[in-house]
Amino acid sequence: MIKNPPKRAHRFLEWFCPSYLFEGIEGDLLEQFDEDVELYGEKRAGKYFWWNVLRFFRPAIITRNNYKLKILNTMMLSNYLKITTRSMMKSKLYTFINAFGLSIGMAFCMLIYLFIQDEKSFDKFHEYGEQIYRIESNQYNTWRTAANDQSLFSKSAHIQKAVGPTLKNELSEVELSTRYNYGSKGVVRHKEKVFTERLTYVDPDFFRMFSFELIQGDKERVFSDKLEVVITQDIAQKYFGDNDPVNQVIEIDHEGSKSYTITGVIVEAPANSSLDYGILINQVNRPYYEGNMKNWRNSNTPTFVKLAKNIDLKSFEYNLDQIVEKYMGKNTNDWEIPKEIAEEDGFKPYEYQYTKLDDMHLDTSVSWSKSSDPQYAIILGAIAVLILLIACINYVSLSLTTSASRRIEVGIRKAIGASKSQVVYQFTFESILLAAFSMIIGMGLMYLFLPAFNKFTDKGIALDLNSVLHLLGFGTLIFVFVGLAAGSYPSLVLSNYQPAKVLKGISSKVNSSFAKPLVVIQYALSAFLIISSIIMYQQMKFVTSMDLGFDKEQVLVIPTQSNWSAEADNTVKNLRQALTKHSSIVSVAGTNNSFNHGYSLNGYEIDGEQRSAFTYTIDPYYIRLLGIDLIEGRNFDRDILSDSTGVIVNEALVADMGWENPLEEHLNWREDSVGLGAKILGVVKDYHFLSLESEIKPVLLSMKTGYLMNALIKVQPDNIAHSLEVIENEWKALYPDRPFEYNFMDDDIDKQYQSYNRWMNIMALATGFAILISCLGLFGLSGVNTLNRTKEIGIRKVMGAELSNIFYLLNKQYVWLAIIAFSVASPMSWYVMDIWLSDFEFAISIGWEVFAMSMLAGLIVALSTVSYHAIKSALVNPAETLKYE
Amino acid sequence: MQKEYLGEFEELILTMVAILGEESYGNAIVQEIQERLDRKVNLSAVHVTLYRLEDKGHIKSHMGGATTSRGGRKKRLFEISNAGLALLHSIQEQRSSLWKLVPQLKIAGI
Repeated sequence: MIKNPPKRAHRFLEWFCPSYLFEGIEGDLLEQFDEDVELYGEKRAGKYFWWNVLRFFRPAIITRNNYKLKILNTMMLSNYLKITTRSMMKSKLYTFINAFGLSIGMAFCMLIYLFIQDEKSFDKFHEYGEQIYRIESNQYNTWRTAANDQSLFSKSAHIQKAVGPTLKNELSEVELSTRYNYGSKGVVRHKEKVFTERLTYVDPDFFRMFSFELIQGDKERVFSDKLEVVITQDIAQKYFGDNDPVNQVIEIDHEGSKSYTITGVIVEAPANSSLDYGILINQVNRPYYEGNMKNWRNSNTPTFVKLAKNIDLKSFEYNLDQIVEKYMGKNTNDWEIPKEIAEEDGFKPYEYQYTKLDDMHLDTSVSWSKSSDPQYAIILGAIAVLILLIACINYVSLSLTTSASRRIEVGIRKAIGASKSQVVYQFTFESILLAAFSMIIGMGLMYLFLPAFNKFTDKGIALDLNSVLHLLGFGTLIFVFVGLAAGSYPSLVLSNYQPAKVLKGISSKVNSSFAKPLVVIQYALSAFLIISSIIMYQQMKFVTSMDLGFDKEQVLVIPTQSNWSAEADNTVKNLRQALTKHSSIVSVAGTNNSFNHGYSLNGYEIDGEQRSAFTYTIDPYYIRLLGIDLIEGRNFDRDILSDSTGVIVNEALVADMGWENPLEEHLNWREDSVGLGAKILGVVKDYHFLSLESEIKPVLLSMKTGYLMNALIKVQPDNIAHSLEVIENEWKALYPDRPFEYNFMDDDIDKQYQSYNRWMNIMALATGFAILISCLGLFGLSGVNTLNRTKEIGIRKVMGAELSNIFYLLNKQYVWLAIIAFSVASPMSWYVMDIWLSDFEFAISIGWEVFAMSMLAGLIVALSTVSYHAIKSALVNPAETLKYE
Repeated sequence: MQKEYLGEFEELILTMVAILGEESYGNAIVQEIQERLDRKVNLSAVHVTLYRLEDKGHIKSHMGGATTSRGGRKKRLFEISNAGLALLHSIQEQRSSLWKLVPQLKIAGI
């Protein structure tokens, strides 16, 4: 018996081997195989054959192929092009559906590509980026109790003021260091121009470490004097117009006014920089600088260091530990740390760690204003791929169902000598051409979408030559991939037609059952997006309309623009006096922190237990203005002197302390060694002073723990514009030298959910497009199916079928497909949305209504898309369709 | 004329083609090398080298007649060209002339 070598290996060899060498090589291999069969038996011989074939798969053989001949049949190319354009023009609708879907999917993909590129480019423009590190503290969490469930350690980029200079002086690895305080704002005056600006306090090394270019000024000499500042171009433009800002003097009021000389102008920090600045001031001018330098308990200063090249990071870590030992040792020894934790191996109560500047942006373990979660890129990418997938499915199912019209073409091509592979090439060429065409439209769409996308994702992506070139490369990759992926299956099916059968007129019908699973997938993806976005919408609606326990409407928040001093309290008082005479103003109150404008959390120890509460400094008008419910006790009263030490607490704090009669209790939150502490004057009903992501925490309100840095002004609901004008005029009369700024409290509160809102918008957009594309696909598909059944419908009508019968006949399969798709999508979206909702402490529960509603909506949309064809063909006079028989 | 050099393996294959004469094809060369030099070489390497030598003009090839063994496939038969023969000669001469210059050393122990 003649043994045969493995067929696949054989075919593989045929595929890659140049045809003129094939016979000789094949013969030699077969001879070898026969010998091997004698020697080792068929099984091993087969293996050797495979191995030998693979050994022939080497460049020296493969490159002997005449590529031109094989892959690009240039002779036929112009013919393919002509036929492609003709068939595209012939079925304009399907071409449009395909191109539209693909181009939107590709536009999304490109946007996501830009997004990811932007994320990756963060902080990469610094010349010394490899050597710059941010120093962080990793501290044992002494506030941790079983109840508050905080993690064992807390990491923070805010460290002691003295760390920067200390590291630079004492460690040889540290070449340069700068501190970087970016949060504060101050009032800046130059002649008649008065604005609040963001102030950034840095050290002179800032300019030498980072590659932010100084347009004017010398980076080696700037900040040689204490009272120098460097401003950005925008700020220079704002205050000085076209005049030269250098050597001009501006007055900056931040906890006390000082005059500074401008000695440099710096470029704006790019959008992909983790560091940002407006006015750069020498760190030593920061309020309470001297005190903070000596205080190693106070952590408020982010610090960056530039290390020498090629240092040993292990020894640097060791040296950092030495610094902790030297300056913090006394402190940490006082900490109460449970024995079992303290004795663990390698336990350090306090430690400095570091993150490379390059890695800062995507590091979410340390909170930083501009850091971002890499998860976002993944979610966005997944959405883009979903849309592209839906579009590809459209292409596959449409080109398969319309393939009947290309049957004769394929038959003739094959009859006059086209090989199967040539037909495959032809149709693959067609789909790649369509994909390339879609790519070009997609580029245009992307350009149109970019501003909206920037807004949604809070980015400032701009197209420059470099990114356009990158995009072109990426785009080519996508369209070739999409063309191959979407085109391979249809082209394989089409190339399988047998010329003899086709040309004899025997219709070798395409089995259209393949289209159904594709439609189900497509539909399930859309349903997933529909359900998710409805749930997101419901949650956002719930969050923004929930009763927070106070009245946030028509409340203006106006910063008093004064120092942390009694002047702030006076400002509120003066404003009240000036404004209460106007009928449009309801009342004026003061507080240290308005909602979503920062908070202060105080920790204290009572009876050996660590507790904490959010403290707000308020005046007696506050509770009434916000409509907070006072359920026990009384409000503050200015006339009762002792009220200044008393506090009003919320129910959460009462529950936390476990009090029965709160009004008889005292809260020693200042850890006063003499006396009982603050007397409880009243208890307010819980209200949501934090975002709904967290539960209601203990709050204590007092009159004298800080200053009223914000005035809250409640105005009449009608004609708010007029009220604003009144307030501004009074402000200008009272404080002509302070800028007038305001926010609406409800806006501030809504801002807490900004990122959620953004995601909801992105989801809504993606859902909209997904529905649109899949509807278009469904529309095309049902059109083709109806067309195939024209005669059937005609006969049925002749036999007496009603319009409704035919409607039912044509649509019932789509209803089934939709139901199957929904039952797949529902658990999927339930799972994903459950994870999303777990971010919120106060969340809606996902009810069956959502699913029922989206299913109904989906069905209606699907039915109305497919009905067009059904009704159209049901209305045709049967005589028309049957007269050719 | 530009000087030509052959690699060790190329030279070996060229020599084998010369030795085998009319019956030189891939498998025969592999077997010949195995028998005479006790050296295992891979078929694909032999093929690649043969094609390279052909490109350089040292050997010529043609398809042999139909066979009954090896699945009826024809053999690609190689024969050495005049240029190839000349090259082998010159390599041989160079080598022996160089050999004469080597001081007559004896391998220790003999």
